[in-house]
Amino acid sequence: MTTWHKPRLAETLETCRPVPPDKPNILKALLAVQSALGHVPPSAIPQIAQVLGVTDAQVAGVLSYYSDLRTQPTGRHLIRVCMGESCTANHGVLVLRAIQDHVRVAVGDRTQVERFTVEQMSCAGNCAVSPTVMIDEDLCGRVTPSIIPSLLEPYR
Amino acid sequence: MKTTRCYLANDTSSRAAGAERLADAWSERPEIQLIRTSSRGAFFLEPMVERDTPNGREAWFNVSPNDLPRIVGGVGGTPVAEIPFLQQQTRFTFGNFGITEPLALDEYQTRGGFKGWEAVQNLSPEAIVEELRISRLRGRGGAAFPVWKKWQVAQQTESEQKYVVANADEGDAGTYCDRMIMEGDPFRLIEGMMICARAVGATRGYIYCRYEYPAAAQAMRFAIQKAREADLLDCDDYPFDLEVVVGAGSYVCGEETALLESLEGRRGVVLAKPPYPAESGLYGKPTIVSNVLTFATIPNILAHGGAWHASLGTEGSRGTMVLQLGGRVKQPGLVEIPFGLTLHDVLDRFGGGMAPGSRFKAVQVGGPLGSLFPESQLDIPVCYDAFAEAGAILGHGGIVVYDHETNMVELVV
Ligand SMILES: Cc1cc2nc3c(=O)[nH]c(=O)nc-3n(C[C@H](O)[C@H](O)[C@H](O)COP(=O)(O)O)c2cc1C
Ligand code: SF4
Ligand code: FES
Repeated sequence: MTTWHKPRLAETLETCRPVPPDKPNILKALLAVQSALGHVPPSAIPQIAQVLGVTDAQVAGVLSYYSDLRTQPTGRHLIRVCMGESCTANHGVLVLRAIQDHVRVAVGDRTQVERFTVEQMSCAGNCAVSPTVMIDEDLCGRVTPSIIPSLLEPYR
Repeated sequence: MKTTRCYLANDTSSRAAGAERLADAWSERPEIQLIRTSSRGAFFLEPMVERDTPNGREAWFNVSPNDLPRIVGGVGGTPVAEIPFLQQQTRFTFGNFGITEPLALDEYQTRGGFKGWEAVQNLSPEAIVEELRISRLRGRGGAAFPVWKKWQVAQQTESEQKYVVANADEGDAGTYCDRMIMEGDPFRLIEGMMICARAVGATRGYIYCRYEYPAAAQAMRFAIQKAREADLLDCDDYPFDLEVVVGAGSYVCGEETALLESLEGRRGVVLAKPPYPAESGLYGKPTIVSNVLTFATIPNILAHGGAWHASLGTEGSRGTMVLQLGGRVKQPGLVEIPFGLTLHDVLDRFGGGMAPGSRFKAVQVGGPLGSLFPESQLDIPVCYDAFAEAGAILGHGGIVVYDHETNMVELVV
């Protein structure tokens, strides 16, 4: 964890401090940390637990349970390729391969240049214009392998 | 220069299909003004641009930026009322789609919004539940449980605090109607939840929205804020507060007990029932968990009466079904029709056959836990009873068509 994270983390956690009668909400706190830092560094668990008034194990348990919570930093841009039924029927697998070739990483790894992280996702609810690729919060539909280079170009 | 007012959808799928590219390309053009509406759900035609004519709206399909002169000149448009995919539908819950701006509260009200809410002002909680019983509405989230029974349990369970929760986890692959409602007609969901809250005596509501739907969560937050500012949320004798909560990616969290665990911030694990959430749910209090589409169906039922709803559909499945076509079908999109049409006719009339170069292999209905139908079994009526008899489930109405190239092994993993 880089040092600049520390004040941000403390600041974020202050907004998650439970105010009675509200009970502590671990998932909400972890999502807030992720949205501030981009991921939830495991080294932050004790601090999170302390602010919420729960045990480290409870925080770690929730953190490991949810697939959208990440403990590793991602590249500057997160590419998620839908592997749901409609996208699979529309050759989403070929799109995934083309993206992997283009950024030359295995799913879940980071490129050396720290530009992209590539992951698979379940149905994005965009089935009617599938196959779907989500880049950060932008959704792209009817994606074909041939448009991958121009699709990724703006994400520097 | 005269400015032509045109309509362009602003939901996630239309943007993904190129609507955003059009809006960007035309942003500096004085001859056109774009009103960003919800999508009609005919996604195979998106991006679709519409404009008013004396005979109703006309549309241009699969528009690209250099189609601007044709649209402004009024050349080559198709009357929206003559698009077969839409013409053959019966839109009630989706009646505003493609027409209104999602966050324009006044438009929602002009088109009959909050009429259901007004109707319940003169009804006792028991009378609201009775109206739901007459309507014979069954939950649209998958289990198809009669809505009124759940409401009656929560109503009759004594508690100083009760909750309503909209299940917006939409986990079944191939489904997107909940996302469309939240992005395209958010006040309808709010109204449905308010009616439910009044019937059961709840004062707090949550919308549990999956992480993959950031635009839906944002639209709901804006809509709640607008409703609050217009004093619609807090009626004099009835304080009600509503909050959007975002999940974090676990298919199991769509199951209601797991969802409530997750809402409390814990791991989303399935708990044993009973007790059912209607007796003991969120923080141990009576809680109605219902699907987004279920809540969105309720305003019309209260506005037009339970008997109106019961008059649509088949014996065991009353009202309209909302199907979402995807996969290798030629015309993917959202379909709302009364229950009862066969799967074959749905695919034929609305799906328009297979995508070019594709041969039919099978169709999957009801998401990952649903069933596969080969060509020989397509004459099954789409309703809860026929599906149950065939050992299948209709689930959330997702229909994905596979072709001869689909590798079924890839799908199983
Ligand atoms: C594994 C599993 C996943 C589910 N996922 C969803 C879902 O994504 N959305 C939903 O509304 N219901 C889902 N359900 C059904 C809910 O448990 C619950 O029955 C439903 O939200 C009730 O709403 P309804 O009465 O409006 O149908 C799921 C059930 C199971 C067992
Ligand atoms: S049915 Fe499948 S997804 Fe649902 S709880 Fe059981 S194992 Fe999990
Ligand atoms: S299957 Fe990919 S968006 Fe639905």
